[in-house]
Amino acid sequence: MFWVISLLSQNKEVLYGLEETPQGMILNPGSRISYDYHFGVPFISQIHFNGGSSGVTVYDIFQESSVDINTRISNKIFELKNTDFFTATQQLELLNFGWKNKKNYYFSGGIYQEFDFVLYFPKDLAILAWEGNANYIGKEFDLGEISASGDFLTVYHFGINKKLNKKITIGARVKLYSSILNFRSTSNSGTLLTRLSESGNNIYEHILSNLNMNVNTSGITSLSELDTSEQVIDKLVDNALFGGNLGLGVDLGATYEIDEKWTASASILDLGAIFHKKDIESYQVTGEYTLDGIELLFPPLQVGTPSTPYYDDLIDDIEDNFIVDTIYNSYTQMRPVKMYASIKYNFGKEIGGDEVCNCLKMGENQEYNQSVGFQYFSVFRPKGPQIAATLFYYYRLSDYFSLKTTYSADSYSYSNIGLGLVTTIKMVNFYIVADNLKWYSNLAKAKSVSLQFGLSIIIDKNE
Amino acid sequence: MACVKDIDFDQTDDIIPSPVVALDFIFFNINSENFSDISPTNLIVTDTTSFDFLNEDFLVDNLIKADFYFKNTNSLPSQLITQYQFLDENNVLHYEITIPVNSGAISNPVITEYTEIIDEASIGNLVLSNKLVVNIIATSSLINLDGILNLESKTTYYLRLEE
Repeated sequence: MFWVISLLSQNKEVLYGLEETPQGMILNPGSRISYDYHFGVPFISQIHFNGGSSGVTVYDIFQESSVDINTRISNKIFELKNTDFFTATQQLELLNFGWKNKKNYYFSGGIYQEFDFVLYFPKDLAILAWEGNANYIGKEFDLGEISASGDFLTVYHFGINKKLNKKITIGARVKLYSSILNFRSTSNSGTLLTRLSESGNNIYEHILSNLNMNVNTSGITSLSELDTSEQVIDKLVDNALFGGNLGLGVDLGATYEIDEKWTASASILDLGAIFHKKDIESYQVTGEYTLDGIELLFPPLQVGTPSTPYYDDLIDDIEDNFIVDTIYNSYTQMRPVKMYASIKYNFGKEIGGDEVCNCLKMGENQEYNQSVGFQYFSVFRPKGPQIAATLFYYYRLSDYFSLKTTYSADSYSYSNIGLGLVTTIKMVNFYIVADNLKWYSNLAKAKSVSLQFGLSIIIDKNE
Repeated sequence: MACVKDIDFDQTDDIIPSPVVALDFIFFNINSENFSDISPTNLIVTDTTSFDFLNEDFLVDNLIKADFYFKNTNSLPSQLITQYQFLDENNVLHYEITIPVNSGAISNPVITEYTEIIDEASIGNLVLSNKLVVNIIATSSLINLDGILNLESKTTYYLRLEE
């Protein structure tokens, strides 16, 4: 088993805790729910895009400048680290619904499609490709830095949420993953070294040591055997509808109202795995080799005798020292576990009402129209967790309109400002969330860009 | 509104990776028997190897310069001439390097270094070839002479990876 692998969904720091929208529940199945029913408008209840690179922006490379672009690329290659990464994430919700039963359990379910890609920056390989080895005699280039994965899947989920008492709300959600495509190449190793010869045979020794490169794929091989785009689409749809590889996971969450001023919450998402058993093909290359050129032996050949096939022998020898395997073993892909935790302080104008009267709430359930707080987010990734810390301010301007603004420090930047707006007019609930706002005047300078929006119908019988 | 400013994607055309690759070339050890095994009065030994990658498309398209460095260590008490002929599959000669090698002694091996720089003007000839013939020519009989001619060599390939 591997603790995967991709960074998948990025931090949705603005949307977390926005309880006015049903999407808040997706990020915390134990969030407080103030409505009795919700229905996402199919295909537009949640649309999410995120693209990011932790160490370089489009502007860094393509800015209008008197400095040659090749110089800028060289500088960037040396500035980036092998833990820097490039990501793309996309989610599209197909269905989302929920209802409260007579015992005040809130049930919810839905389907969404997700695409995720992550590529770590293989720094040594980039140096080798960009500059070659001539100026790096004696340096070991680490080929194990190659690390990438991609995922395309459908998630079917069903959850339950219950306010246990005045202080505690808990929730859990079961997820069934239907993988459409998956590839990953994340457990690679090997070094390439050119050094002055220690054997004395020739000037250099070129040493490829402990090479072990792997790529796992699932759902991809069968596509290459199809002829038409219609067949490919049919196959992808079939995989999305449980025809491919399946997995199971859970989301858990809780909200704790410490007192009328303080509220804490936490959730853990995608605690699960996908079991790739069908349509899998994996490739592995292992071996090691030391090259010191071609030794000529000057055999006393007669005229007309063919010369020694030194070059072909060398190529054969190299090939014999590397084993290339195609493997059809099933593999398990852990989903990238995400965690949120939050604590907030409520203040400002007292708001809210309940089924007894349309007056202000009393005691511990008193709500206020503003809050400030701190959020923690982490997601497990191939080279360790990604962590983000967020300070936020929430302001409910009226029953129809709320906003939340965030200031986050994460792998991309230490000054990510986000903003989310939620409107609920009659039963129509709309939200839009974006981050990295300070770069919106020039997106080319942003290391990551994230945008989500969605439309739902929510029904509160008390209104 | 979101927008993208001060960016010139036309610069993509200007991106030219220019790696410099150092690679071992050939090596050998020759003594007087390599000559006399052919005949007692023989003054030349020859060997041939293919170098198929030299005229593969990647080098034809991207190689702009190549430096061949030869380090001859001679303990034979005789001057020698080494000759490197780059041929195509029809044995047409496209490039030739000739290096006079100083004589030495077993007690005092003499090093003769030589670098051939093949620049843009003549690199086109090199990549027409895919075969190397090495001739070692003695100026007088080596029979019964002790000593070895050792060669170590490397090539530095200068690449320019345009589209």
